[in-house]
Amino acid sequence: MAGIKMVNVKKQYPNGFVAIESMNLDIPDKEFVVLVGPSGCAKSTALKMIAGLEEITAGEMYIGDRLVNDVPPKDREIAMVFQSYALYPHMTIYDNIAFGLKMRKTPKEEIDKLVKEASEILGMADLLDRKPRQLSGGQRQRVALGRAIVRHPQVFLFDEPLSNLDAKLRVKMRTELKQLHQRLQTTVIYVTHDQVEAMTMGSTIVVLKLGQIQQVGSPLELYSFPANRFVAGFIGSPSMNFLDCTIAEENGATYVDTGAFKVELPADKAAKVREHGGREFIFGIRPEDMRKRREKQENYSEAHVHARINVIEPLGKEMYVNMTADGLDFMGIINARFQLAPQEDIELTFNMDRAHLFEKDGDNRSVAHTAKNATSLEDARLAESVDDD
Amino acid sequence: MLKQMPTSLKMANRTFLFFWVFLAAFPFFWMFLISFRSPVDAFSFPPKLFAPVTLEHFYTVWIVDGFWRQALNTTVITLGTLTVSLTIGCLAGYGLSRYRGSMGFWILIIALVFRAMPHVVMLVAYKPAFWAMGIWNRYETLIIVLVAINQPFTIWMLRSFFVNIPEELDQAALVDGCNRVQTFVKVIMPVMWPGVITTGLFSFLLAYNDFLISSQLMSGDHMTMTAALSNYIFSDDSLAKLMHGVAGAVSITIPLIFLVLFFQKYIVSGLTHGAVKG
Ligand SMILES: Nc1ncnc2c1ncn2[C@@H]1O[C@H](COP(=O)(O)OP(=O)(O)OP(=O)(O)O)[C@@H](O)[C@H]1O
Ligand SMILES: [Mg+2]
Repeated sequence: MAGIKMVNVKKQYPNGFVAIESMNLDIPDKEFVVLVGPSGCAKSTALKMIAGLEEITAGEMYIGDRLVNDVPPKDREIAMVFQSYALYPHMTIYDNIAFGLKMRKTPKEEIDKLVKEASEILGMADLLDRKPRQLSGGQRQRVALGRAIVRHPQVFLFDEPLSNLDAKLRVKMRTELKQLHQRLQTTVIYVTHDQVEAMTMGSTIVVLKLGQIQQVGSPLELYSFPANRFVAGFIGSPSMNFLDCTIAEENGATYVDTGAFKVELPADKAAKVREHGGREFIFGIRPEDMRKRREKQENYSEAHVHARINVIEPLGKEMYVNMTADGLDFMGIINARFQLAPQEDIELTFNMDRAHLFEKDGDNRSVAHTAKNATSLEDARLAESVDDD
Repeated sequence: MLKQMPTSLKMANRTFLFFWVFLAAFPFFWMFLISFRSPVDAFSFPPKLFAPVTLEHFYTVWIVDGFWRQALNTTVITLGTLTVSLTIGCLAGYGLSRYRGSMGFWILIIALVFRAMPHVVMLVAYKPAFWAMGIWNRYETLIIVLVAINQPFTIWMLRSFFVNIPEELDQAALVDGCNRVQTFVKVIMPVMWPGVITTGLFSFLLAYNDFLISSQLMSGDHMTMTAALSNYIFSDDSLAKLMHGVAGAVSITIPLIFLVLFFQKYIVSGLTHGAVKG
């Protein structure tokens, strides 16, 4: 078992392209860490450097306490699932899964037991004597997964291991992988570009953009306290609404003015803004942090906004509503029991305790985020549905 | 779906192909036919389709003239050239396919330049040197020269096969506990063999068919089949001699036909089907 530490790790490809400028990451032993980010943000590159498959241009990489910059992959005790599967086309599925064990001189009966076990978990016990070309894409991906999970390495590296499975199988495999992690207590680094998968799998999430770490934290931390606009927009679905705004002070109160509407900032956020000193920001509010206005006083800082409904996407329990306020489009999640129709006007209540402000330029760093004492998401939802009934 | 060709066009196609194949294959077919005939029948006019069969030309060529000796020489030379150039070609081709620096490009360009040179240029350069060293008329010498001629091509061809094997396959093997050599032997080569067979076939033909170099470097007991064959044609104009030449030519051609027929199904098969997504 071992943690992983990257110190100022840089990756420049031979063609001169710098995929990672300088990465610092400390992954404790036994963690389940998810690397998430859009396509091309160097997730696979990072994994391959940990595996020793891509040379480290500069910096230091540790597995456990050992500096591994010059340690060949076979001595790093890692198992990896490749994004492209990379199955051995000339071997049967059985041999594909058993190959790593054979290379490590595992006794034959032991190999047989482990391969059977893994194929059971993956639901492909009856495919063992086929060749990779006789399998479907999803089955191939499961073989790639099997090749990793038969081994008991120091670290598991999974590069989008579930991307090609159908929704149902994916959910099942997620559970299997989590159980595997709990059983083996091995450090896992899991790459995905799917933020839902990241939220459900990881105890720690690392958000990457263009080879730079944007934020490291638990799923709820990233959700409530995103470090910048990119993380805020990447985590959560549907994505947070962003509206350019200016700050206005009137009668001792601080307002956010988007041009379309003007809402009052709660005291803690107003203080942050004053501290920052800027006038122009990006106002961020998640679709789930707004509701149809009602007479009753809410237990959070309210702000009221008029909008016109464009499109409604019903999902059963709730609906995604796309709205316009004076030319600005944004999305809200509204309880499905309300009767709404396109082109209707709607009056909304924003939960300003959960609103965000980001710097307008540079890295769009967060200036103010969810109030620490804000009712947690789950609480707020529960309270709401009780009230609604 | 493609639209069906009209019947008339299909017929025209077939007729054309038939005539074309007939034209191209006829000399070989005729050569094969007359090699089993006495000279009188072989060159009778008008030509006869059927005539008494005799094996006398083959007997004279193989046993009396000792063609078996030259066949043996050609076998040794061909297998030697094949082994050496495929071994070097696989190692170099694999290396070049995985190497990411800029030197690889220049190595390949230099190889291309050597490939482009007329073979006789090499001969001019080699022969006096071999003569001075006293190492001409030896198997090794001819093999070295044939490898030198053949190697640029095998490296290029094998490299392009290796390039088609995704690098992640190497990486998977490395993670699974192989070192570089084991990766090459256990994972890459087993996937590579359609490429090796295709390239091998071309190398084989080059060595087997070579006349220019072998006729210059080898003589007497060490002569190759092609060189010996030319003796029949150039020696004198007697019909009997010519018939021996025909029998020799047929003897040289038959193995080639079987070789190509046997390997044709491996030549076009896909290398890494099933290895990666898709
Ligand atoms: N061999 C290479 N040579 C040059 N540039 C490369 C090479 N491999 C990857 N890159 C570049 O490095 C960047 C990161 O690539 P990487 O494969 O790590 O992305 P990723 O995050 O895994 O993306 P995806 O989600 O699409 O798999 C990309 O911009 C890519 O173009
Ligand atoms: Mg990737």
